Amino acid sequence: SQVLVEEKSSVRILTLNRPKQLNALCFNMISRLFQLFLAYEEDPSVKLVILKGQGRAFCAGGDVPPVVNNMVQGKWRLGADFFRDQYTLNYVMATYSKAQVSILNGIVMGAGAGASIHGRFRIATENTVFAMPETALGLFPDVGASYFLSRLPGFFGEYVGLTGARLDGAEMLACGLATHFVPSSRLTALEADLCKVGTSDPSFVSTILDAYTQHPHLKQKSLYHRLDVIDRCFSRRTVEEIISALEREATQEPDDWILTTIRALKKSSPSSLKISLRSIREGRLQGVGQCLIREYKMVCHVMKGDLSKDLVEGCRAILIDKDRNPKWNPKRLEDMKDNIVDQYFERVEEEERWEDLKLSPRNNLRASKIAAKL
Amino acid sequence: MSEYRGLRRAHILANHILRSPPPSSNLSLTPEVCLQYSPPELNESYGFDVKEMRKLLDGHNLEDRDWLYGLMMQSNLFNRKEIGGKVFVSPDYNQTMEQQRQISMKRILYLLENGVFQGWLTETGPEAELNKFALYEVCGIYDYSLSAKLGVHFLLWGNAVKFFGTKRHHEKWLKDTEDYLVKGCFAMTELGHGTNVRGIETVTTYDPTTEEFVINTPCESAQKYWIGEAANHANHAIVISQLSINGTNQGVHVFIAQIRDQDGNICPNVRIADCGHKIGLNGVDNGRIWFDNLRIPRENLLNSVADVLSDGKYVSSIKDPDQRFGAFLAPLTSGRVTIASSAIYSSKLGLAVAIRYSLSRRAFSVAANCPEVLLLDYPSHQRRLLPLLAKTYAMSIAVNDLKMIYVKRTAETNKAIHVVSSGFKAVLTWHNMRTLQECRQAVGGQGLKTENRVGHLKGEYDVQTTFEGDNNVLMQLVSKALFAEYVSCKKRNKPFKGLGLEHMNSPRPVLPTQLTSSTLRCSQFQKNVFCLRERDLLERFTSEVAELQGRGESREFSILLNHQLSEDLSKAFTEKAILQTVLDAEAKLPPGSVKEVLGLVRSMYALICLEEDPSLLRYGHLSRDNVGDVRREVCKLCGELRPHALALVASFGIPDAFLSPIAFNWVEANAWSSL
Repeated sequence: SQVLVEEKSSVRILTLNRPKQLNALCFNMISRLFQLFLAYEEDPSVKLVILKGQGRAFCAGGDVPPVVNNMVQGKWRLGADFFRDQYTLNYVMATYSKAQVSILNGIVMGAGAGASIHGRFRIATENTVFAMPETALGLFPDVGASYFLSRLPGFFGEYVGLTGARLDGAEMLACGLATHFVPSSRLTALEADLCKVGTSDPSFVSTILDAYTQHPHLKQKSLYHRLDVIDRCFSRRTVEEIISALEREATQEPDDWILTTIRALKKSSPSSLKISLRSIREGRLQGVGQCLIREYKMVCHVMKGDLSKDLVEGCRAILIDKDRNPKWNPKRLEDMKDNIVDQYFERVEEEERWEDLKLSPRNNLRASKIAAKL
Repeated sequence: MSEYRGLRRAHILANHILRSPPPSSNLSLTPEVCLQYSPPELNESYGFDVKEMRKLLDGHNLEDRDWLYGLMMQSNLFNRKEIGGKVFVSPDYNQTMEQQRQISMKRILYLLENGVFQGWLTETGPEAELNKFALYEVCGIYDYSLSAKLGVHFLLWGNAVKFFGTKRHHEKWLKDTEDYLVKGCFAMTELGHGTNVRGIETVTTYDPTTEEFVINTPCESAQKYWIGEAANHANHAIVISQLSINGTNQGVHVFIAQIRDQDGNICPNVRIADCGHKIGLNGVDNGRIWFDNLRIPRENLLNSVADVLSDGKYVSSIKDPDQRFGAFLAPLTSGRVTIASSAIYSSKLGLAVAIRYSLSRRAFSVAANCPEVLLLDYPSHQRRLLPLLAKTYAMSIAVNDLKMIYVKRTAETNKAIHVVSSGFKAVLTWHNMRTLQECRQAVGGQGLKTENRVGHLKGEYDVQTTFEGDNNVLMQLVSKALFAEYVSCKKRNKPFKGLGLEHMNSPRPVLPTQLTSSTLRCSQFQKNVFCLRERDLLERFTSEVAELQGRGESREFSILLNHQLSEDLSKAFTEKAILQTVLDAEAKLPPGSVKEVLGLVRSMYALICLEEDPSLLRYGHLSRDNVGDVRREVCKLCGELRPHALALVASFGIPDAFLSPIAFNWVEANAWSSL
């Protein structure tokens, strides 16, 4: 089974089990998780859900190649269904009335972030590697990332979302993406303790987690020490202005980190960068449901491919041919005009009726106490 | 149901008893037995596309607005606070006046660093101006002190240099102003003269031997008063002064004077005092200035209209001092446009908070054993808030229209802009004060808490009814302009053209005697009624004035004596101008729910204006039955707008963080655990 289920009194432990693919979330896994989460919410005997991954990844992303196949074959609606179900799952997690503890002992990227960050507790370890690498793939940080990235301190979210920068466990804890840091050697004991939880009150879970948590030092070269530069540059109005602000910083004080950052931006899809920045900026002012509905609109435009086919190209260059040399179209930022960006945020006009993502109202009263603290 | 209620009461009573000793920290209050907050979104659905409506209301630069909202939310300088699980940004008004001034300046420097003011003075054209308007409006939603300080620096000082100055001034000052290397203020108002600028007493003379102007404050009533930024921050001032050349007064002119050195020390021959604590806008350092024969270089006269040559010869392209004065003041129109637009954003803020609260707060049951009623389900509560909401919508559309005309202004449109902006500034700022007061009362005691904003805004925005021209004087200016237009057209026997008076060329509209619901909601009827009212008042006003003039009174005095008609006329003119912009906006919309709801809003606007104005009844255009019909229709419209209330305030596009805790989960915000 691609999702393993363990029942320990009031606790359910779900393990993503596709280790060869680094637990990339496929259609079936998403449906299964959705089904399980809804069932546990209804089941009064379940108090806590633990989510973790088999092997060296928590979850390295969504299973994109089949989706891109749909797209190439002109069946983009099938691919859109994948995102619809995934975002619905993200929404259930974000408004869940019971505590979700995600143990991020390894790679957490894209869809993996969506399946964990919206939950109440996120445990990082010394093995955690976090990134939202979508702009390098011709996509944009989705799965509700415009909600959680935009709520990070200052303009760190723009930085993480646009550059695909990798964060370690200590950095995740520092910026709030993780709520706790537990050394991997203590995870077994922590899990055993968590299994004793008999209430869905998050404060009890919190007490247990607090007993295990450590406060790791940021590495000396940690990018989190560069928050001042990040805030100065990534607060700018446009992607172009962000890059020129970084270049100004680089001329004043050349350093590897800034140059790497500029390179990452210049290597990413110009379309992706522009829609990602707009998405994060809009997300900052919206609730999680609104963010997912908007992202669904955006991803449908990406899938439909009438504004850009960068996702196909990115997928080829990174995942299939692995030449890491995508040919983006439009090639330059200045060719990606505002009126094209605007279109990603509009309804999809389609002969066969296209509908907005429908999120059923949830009792978010209780959820507001349990929801992720970001 | 009754069993449930009994149980609930028992729980509440038990809670009271249990709570009489202070609860221990681990005793959590059980929300199930107390009142629960239920988010309005759970029970109210959006009947139209809120995003489309927001586009119509904000009108322009939506993405730039959102960027600036985010810029403020993400910085610690903007007093970010988490209350009841939500982030809010709003100034700490409990800071001392000095602290508020310092933090306002720091906020400005932060925005400067992030390029918010880029191009505010150095770029021209409609796009640049609209961008500036949009960002300026957003600053005001955060804190009016912030936008007032920016207004002084960019719109008064900066625009004075830009509009009154010539190339040499532009090159020297504009870029430095945009970068805040120069901090400017605008010294016009005096203790003895405010709205009557022509009467100011500050005198400037010219000394040809040193080629300098000498600015002097001849008496106490000539001290410059209320000068924003003067008390602490400004180092340069625009000085508005009479210019006396060889004993001849050439009238009001505009000069630049340095008032502080680079280290912030007040310059010799300048004295500055603080205006002190105010009922609002304490983040703005208003000061008073005296000039003791301050000498400034000859080049510091802003010489776009008139100049003094090195030998002391006065030259001007406009010979008539009256016209010269008009040319001087024309650029100040932009101030009125921005005041009107920020007044409407303030009303939006108040209404968004009050309406959201009224969709989650209940009070009283209609019958025993019934749940308490949601505030906005009371017809009386609807009647208090929804007509104000409709007016805010109409005025929002109207002020956008004015902005568009302003940014595309030509010599031909200047007069209309002057008149319309005067009327809008007065009517919209009065509307804002009234709206805020109603919203404050509509949220009850919660409105008294500064953190809930609606009550506090009254003090912050009150100044708008006075500065940049007292509202009453501006309204007189409107009716005088209409009077002049009327007299000139009649005299030359020419048709009316401009100021929206073209309807006077057609026969008087005839109103139906019976007013059905569909008649009342018909745009043609509404237009006819508004035109008829304006026409009738204008004719009455001109004939009354003419009659007095015929009896030998001066024109000025005759107009003054007819102040009641004058007030009614200027109000009728402005309300009609507003209605016209809504009709235009509506006509441009494609068929659909946005258009339909806007139609309801427009009808509410039109009918509430009629209901509140007795002049149609007074002069017999509407019968007693008619006004009864209007009144009934207003109530019906309240009921029809009620289901759209949440969506209508959501369309304002003001992010949650800029509203206040009572707009959201006010139970959690006030819970013991939130302390």
